[in-house]
Amino acid sequence: MNNAIQYPGLPEERLPDPPQTQPEKKRKEKILYDERGLIDLPFLLLTVLLVLIGVIMMFSASYASAYADEGSSTAYFARQGLFALVGIGIMLFVSRLNYQMWRALSFPIMAGAIFLLMLVPIFGTKENGARRWIYLGFTSFQPSEVAKLAVVLTFATLMSSYKDKMKTFRYGVLPFAAILGAIALLLALEPHLSAIIIIFSVGGVMMFLGGTELKWFGLAIGVAALFAFIYLKFMGYASDRIVAWRDPWADASNDGYQIVQSLYAIGSGGLMGLGLGKGRQKYLYLPEEHNDYIFAIVCEELGFVGAMVVLLLFVLLILRGYWIAMHARDRFGALMVGGLTTLLALQVFFNIGVVTNFLPATGISLPFFSYGGTALLLQLFEMGLILSVSRQSNNQLLM
Amino acid sequence: MAKRNLRLIKRRQKKARERANRLVLGRTFVVMLLLGVAAFIPLVSTLYQLMIVEHDQYEEWAIRNQTRSTTLTASRGVIYDRNMNILASSATVETIFIDPNALQRRMEEETEKREAGKEYNPAVSVDFIAKGLAGLLDVEEDFVKEQAGQTEYYYRVIKRKVPEETAQEVREFINDNELTGIINLELDSRRYYPYGSMAAQVLGFVNTDNVGGEGLEAYYDATLTGNAGAVITTKGNRGTEMLYTYEKYYDASDGNSLVLTLDMTVQHYLEKNLEEATEKYDVLNGAFGIVMDVDTGEVLGMATLGSYDPNNHQEIYDEELREELERQYQLAISMDEDSQAYTDAMAAYNAAMATARLRQWRNRCVSDGYEPGSTFKPITLSIGLETGAVTENDTYECTGSYKFEGRDQIVNCWKAAGHGSQTTMEALGNSCNIAFSNMGLKIGAKTFYEYVKDFGFMEKTGIDLPGEAFGYFFTYEQFTEVGNNANLISSSWGQTFKITPIQLVRGIAAVVNGGYVLEPYIVREVLDSEGNVVTRNETTVLRQVISEETSATMCEMLEYVVAGGTAGGAQVPGYRIGGKTGTSEKTDVRDDEGNLIEVEDKMVSFVGVAPMEDPKYVVLVVLDTPSEATGLYISGGIMAAPTVGAVMGDILPYLGVEPNYTDEELELVTVSVPDVIDMTEAEAAAALQEKGFTYRTVGSGTTVMDQVPAGGAKIPGKSEVVLYFGETAPEETVEVPDFSGMTLVYAKQYAESQGLYMLVTGTNQDRADVTATYQDIEAGTEVAKGTTITVEFTDHSAQD
Repeated sequence: MNNAIQYPGLPEERLPDPPQTQPEKKRKEKILYDERGLIDLPFLLLTVLLVLIGVIMMFSASYASAYADEGSSTAYFARQGLFALVGIGIMLFVSRLNYQMWRALSFPIMAGAIFLLMLVPIFGTKENGARRWIYLGFTSFQPSEVAKLAVVLTFATLMSSYKDKMKTFRYGVLPFAAILGAIALLLALEPHLSAIIIIFSVGGVMMFLGGTELKWFGLAIGVAALFAFIYLKFMGYASDRIVAWRDPWADASNDGYQIVQSLYAIGSGGLMGLGLGKGRQKYLYLPEEHNDYIFAIVCEELGFVGAMVVLLLFVLLILRGYWIAMHARDRFGALMVGGLTTLLALQVFFNIGVVTNFLPATGISLPFFSYGGTALLLQLFEMGLILSVSRQSNNQLLM
Repeated sequence: MAKRNLRLIKRRQKKARERANRLVLGRTFVVMLLLGVAAFIPLVSTLYQLMIVEHDQYEEWAIRNQTRSTTLTASRGVIYDRNMNILASSATVETIFIDPNALQRRMEEETEKREAGKEYNPAVSVDFIAKGLAGLLDVEEDFVKEQAGQTEYYYRVIKRKVPEETAQEVREFINDNELTGIINLELDSRRYYPYGSMAAQVLGFVNTDNVGGEGLEAYYDATLTGNAGAVITTKGNRGTEMLYTYEKYYDASDGNSLVLTLDMTVQHYLEKNLEEATEKYDVLNGAFGIVMDVDTGEVLGMATLGSYDPNNHQEIYDEELREELERQYQLAISMDEDSQAYTDAMAAYNAAMATARLRQWRNRCVSDGYEPGSTFKPITLSIGLETGAVTENDTYECTGSYKFEGRDQIVNCWKAAGHGSQTTMEALGNSCNIAFSNMGLKIGAKTFYEYVKDFGFMEKTGIDLPGEAFGYFFTYEQFTEVGNNANLISSSWGQTFKITPIQLVRGIAAVVNGGYVLEPYIVREVLDSEGNVVTRNETTVLRQVISEETSATMCEMLEYVVAGGTAGGAQVPGYRIGGKTGTSEKTDVRDDEGNLIEVEDKMVSFVGVAPMEDPKYVVLVVLDTPSEATGLYISGGIMAAPTVGAVMGDILPYLGVEPNYTDEELELVTVSVPDVIDMTEAEAAAALQEKGFTYRTVGSGTTVMDQVPAGGAKIPGKSEVVLYFGETAPEETVEVPDFSGMTLVYAKQYAESQGLYMLVTGTNQDRADVTATYQDIEAGTEVAKGTTITVEFTDHSAQD
């Protein structure tokens, strides 16, 4: 006997009809879908998740210092939360734009970035012996952040048009090296070593992506090593950083203080951590705890498990970013997304590397986590760019 | 053609685009693997290392980093004497310190406020604080300023151990001027010694860090200290409170208290009599003495004169020494501060100061060896009696000097004329060196050595006091060298080796207590902070060195020394006292270069035991170098024996030993005269007789109208009281005569003839060589008739 036949089969228990109101649904999901296609959901969700975790952790980390500096424990959180909301809005807006427009806009953006970089030594706010910030009255921002974006856009624009000519020195090396050199020079005036490192790295990776001959990289690495040697040899403060990196405890109350405090936070986290909000190192022991060193607080409060979750989210985001690049509709999109993903990956790598003392100390913030409204806005803007490329993807590898 | 070309170009362009695209695609994949996967491997591995592998270590470091530990002071235990009188106790005091770093920060803030035209606190200034604290704490203003100037520090002490009232004033000063966080207070404790210098070397003191420095405070430091507790709390870096804190509380356990065997009344009598003796005999180098229970080894009194006050142990209490040091200091500071001479003078001053301090802190009763001299003879004799080498019936010839075989030097007896033929007992009573040399030879070096060792003279006694020495005795080989009797002979009368006073006291205790060598002790009980007994020290018998019989014989012999030998001065009416005198020369004094020098220094001593019917207490008194100025012969019999007698006379009644006066002895104690006025003669006679007084009458009448001396006056027992009938006693005064040099009976008669009563102390013997040496009321003083004059008689023949 067949059971299926005996099934009463009431109308309301029947399988629903195949969707017929697709146009309406499209309107409802306008944000995620427009005439060009569906936004890349995994990337969007990963981004929003990281921003959410980042803002919460920033709140926890800044709890004590916000109180000490601003008189209110929620001062930093409120600002960062607001910027995050605005940032997500900007991201969604940008994702709806046709990214082809950035080809044309890349050069004005680069010009603007260079202009701003030139302003910094004159109008910049001095902090710890360096001018890196421009104060706008209600907020301040680092032109170097704009410069990073400008480099990615300009490089993608140039490379996508050079095609085969990338193999030559004249097209494949010279223009990029010139741009990087000019920006590096301006950053050196601030001085801003970490930005130079990031911009050179991003530029280098983009040149690799764009098709520059491999031999030039060998040459560049040689030159970089030479510069690094000279720099470390003659720049006292950097050398101190190296000493503090190799043995933070040698001068734990001075040069090594920050890294030692960071290691205390990370190490004391253990497997499960002290619990969200229950960290202790943030009570004015660890400087920059809600900023460059926020990942140490993540480790302290959420433990190894929490840190791994955060790292995994970043890894997935990065992999998805490159996946979008590889599925971009055109080379410009691929290079732009590749560059922006690289920028994100490098910042994560350098930040966590520094916080764990795997790398010598440089001031690189952790995307979505570190306190800083304009930086967060810019990061979300960049995520918007990536999403706008994903919208036009036809889910086929770039061929 | 053009179309074909266009298509060709297009195809070529398409190919170029595809090539470029494929390159970008491939390289993006490579970068994805590098930055999306490979780069995270070292990060994860580093995190794993830090958070899992090294977690415990980092957690510990982090906690140390984040916590502030507040010490909970445990209060130091109390030291009580055996009657629970407090000898040392701690009180809470406070340390005042400033935080120069905070001061500087606050000053900057206040300056900013002032410049901004806002309200500011003018009290936040170095000058104001310095002035305020200098006034409250009695410190120099400049000192406070100097401390406040060290802005790299957070903790600069202004004054330690400030009493509670002053601390309260400082607290008010802080509150009134809103200086919280700049001036701080911290609890501390201070040790108080209510008895001042009494038993100072025994008690010791605590130094500024509340650590026991000397004496019992040092020896029992761990017991007294207890365990300081701590509260460990999490604290934010700038002292901010954390939202989530954790707290660990380690209980402070207060220190345990000590109950001593010491009796402060006994100690008082011991010190009083030592002081009087020092004065009377003009003792130059201090004196020391011990009172010990012979059966239990409990030390009831232990004193070293030339003492100090543990309440202020740094100060030098010897006046001469202090003046000398002050002179040295003034000389040093008068010099140019940069000169070498200044440095040298200052160093010399500091060294002298340190030496002087160490000297006054030193407990000579346990820390210094000395040559016991004749006080060691009872040991020699008991060895002789125990081994049978000497019997009570031996006779010893003394011609004043004798050349013994095996000793280069002739042995001279202190009595140049010689003691003639003596029994064993008389030899001890005479303290005859020649007789004792013979005894030593009879015993033999090997046996003598073994017994000296068994008596405990080659080991520490084990008394619970720090810095115990064990003197110096010969090595077995040295002592038993064939053909060399020098060491044996001199040792038999207590010279050429050194022992500590406590060793001697213990040895003599063994001689009289049945032969038991004890471990002396000074702490009876250790009490916890609630008063429960933690440990109780019991009598420890180490071994029996002589038999009960020998001990009993020795008791008789020692009693004879007082009754008929060199120690007549130690007699105490109503008590049977025994003991042995000693006078020893210091033979090992060295000058600054360490060369032996000859000095006139003499240690005169007496070790007394009482009551002899059942020995209970041993008292040792040693006077270090009485001066020649008194005119008395310098000897233990003349100087130390009366001192021990006086101590015994004071302590025995106190310790509950009932006096038992012989008829003769009644004259030697004072008795209160009853008030017999208005009584009939018969009634008065009965009242006086009851007290042992005699009387004579003056005038006639039915009832007594007046009496001399008046009722309540204390006069020697068996004295005569004058009763006036029908008339009052004439208000007559007499001039106190100078009794010195008079023999006993003569002096007594002379006093009577003057209408005075005389109380005899010291040697109560009417002999040509026993004369009055001291009287309590100075000659020439006008006193009323019937006054009692106490006169001390000294046996000048007791030259040992």
